[in-house]
Amino acid sequence: MNVSGNKFSQESKERERCEELAKSSSFYRKVYSEIEEIGWEPLRRLGGDLSFFSFHILDKKRRAHILEIQLDRDYPQSPPSVSADVPYMFTLEWSTSSGLKDVMYQFQKHLDNLQEFWSVLDDIDKSLCVVDTKQPSRASPVRRIHAGNDCIVIVHINFDDPNSLPECRFIGPVHMNNLYMIWRRNNKKWSKEKSFPENLECILGMELPKPMNLQAEDDHQQIECGICYAQFLPTDEELGARSGTRTDYTCENISCNKSFHSLCLTDWLRSITTRQSFDVLFGNCPYCSDPVAVKINNK
Amino acid sequence: MALSKIACNRLQKELLEWQRNPPTGFKHKVTDNLQRWIIEVIGAPGTLYANDTYQLQVDFPEHYPMESPQVIFLPPAPMHPHIYSNGHICLDILYDSWSPAMTVSSICISILSMLSSSPEKQRPTDNDRYVKNCKNGRSPKETRWWFHDDKV
Repeated sequence: MNVSGNKFSQESKERERCEELAKSSSFYRKVYSEIEEIGWEPLRRLGGDLSFFSFHILDKKRRAHILEIQLDRDYPQSPPSVSADVPYMFTLEWSTSSGLKDVMYQFQKHLDNLQEFWSVLDDIDKSLCVVDTKQPSRASPVRRIHAGNDCIVIVHINFDDPNSLPECRFIGPVHMNNLYMIWRRNNKKWSKEKSFPENLECILGMELPKPMNLQAEDDHQQIECGICYAQFLPTDEELGARSGTRTDYTCENISCNKSFHSLCLTDWLRSITTRQSFDVLFGNCPYCSDPVAVKINNK
Repeated sequence: MALSKIACNRLQKELLEWQRNPPTGFKHKVTDNLQRWIIEVIGAPGTLYANDTYQLQVDFPEHYPMESPQVIFLPPAPMHPHIYSNGHICLDILYDSWSPAMTVSSICISILSMLSSSPEKQRPTDNDRYVKNCKNGRSPKETRWWFHDDKV
């Protein structure tokens, strides 16, 4: 009685373990084939147990976004959880027959919806002096804009209607009251036809300070390739269709941020011992030694 | 082998930058040969090599900067524990540790710092054996170097 009971429980444990193994191996297979479907190139980070990873996605205006995905063990029964640098997340439509490709598709559509919102933000970040951070966030609809004379205007962009009159608050010494009064008097003049900076300057009746970074110098530095020192590849038979192309790869370490032609970088990585998987070469940035992954372009 | 277009373009920019901002203690001898630079080195004041002048010969490969340039001292080479009498220099960045982030100018600075930190004017201990093994005109890039000493 005792013996057979023991045997019985052992068998059921064994079965459980087998089921567990079969379940996880089918999980790996599923996730792997779904990543394959999307392609390995946009993949940026991958957890060892395939339960989390991130994809690098360009929107219509070629702004880069990172989509982070986390999977539960019972995926695809339960939907993946997703996060990204966006002001609000979309509601994932999910059925058991859905896959990662559907997530990517829905995210891309969500990005499309936000294009106008980001164009407004980009306009502000490019032509006004934004004071909060070095790298203003794409997720935040708030910008603190330097208005001269120690005054700060805090604007809150409506992401459903980004070209409409924004919510504005003014911070600064006593004389900023004047600015506030001007704003209240004139804000009916806000026009959806004008750009955000134009509108703000027009309503306040003054020229606003420009961004303070040393853009001219930086731009010059960043568009040249850190290996061949040129912005454009030369025209050469050997280079074929890539003759004359611009730098197209940037080191992701923000404090390095060096630009390269992916051709120059792959040539260099190939000349030293380097790891390759599918058509992606892995190595280190020649400047900061941070890891880089660059796709091999076929001629 | 002649320089590739990419190498030629990069060297012209390096030369321009050198002329604008030459490294202290070095003089580029003007020639019309972009592929071989002759550079005069003046020993740093306050070191064993103060006021000595030497000449470096820098030859660039077809696919510079994917490969390092070949750098040797023209005779007479300075007496130094890492410089052989045939002008070959034992310095890791000229071989295994080269990276396209380096430049002729940064190499020169490394060489001068190597000279400046030397405790005595002396040849490497294996000088005679090494020089004998380097048959006529062999490049130091063909040598398998051991970088055993990082103090000098």
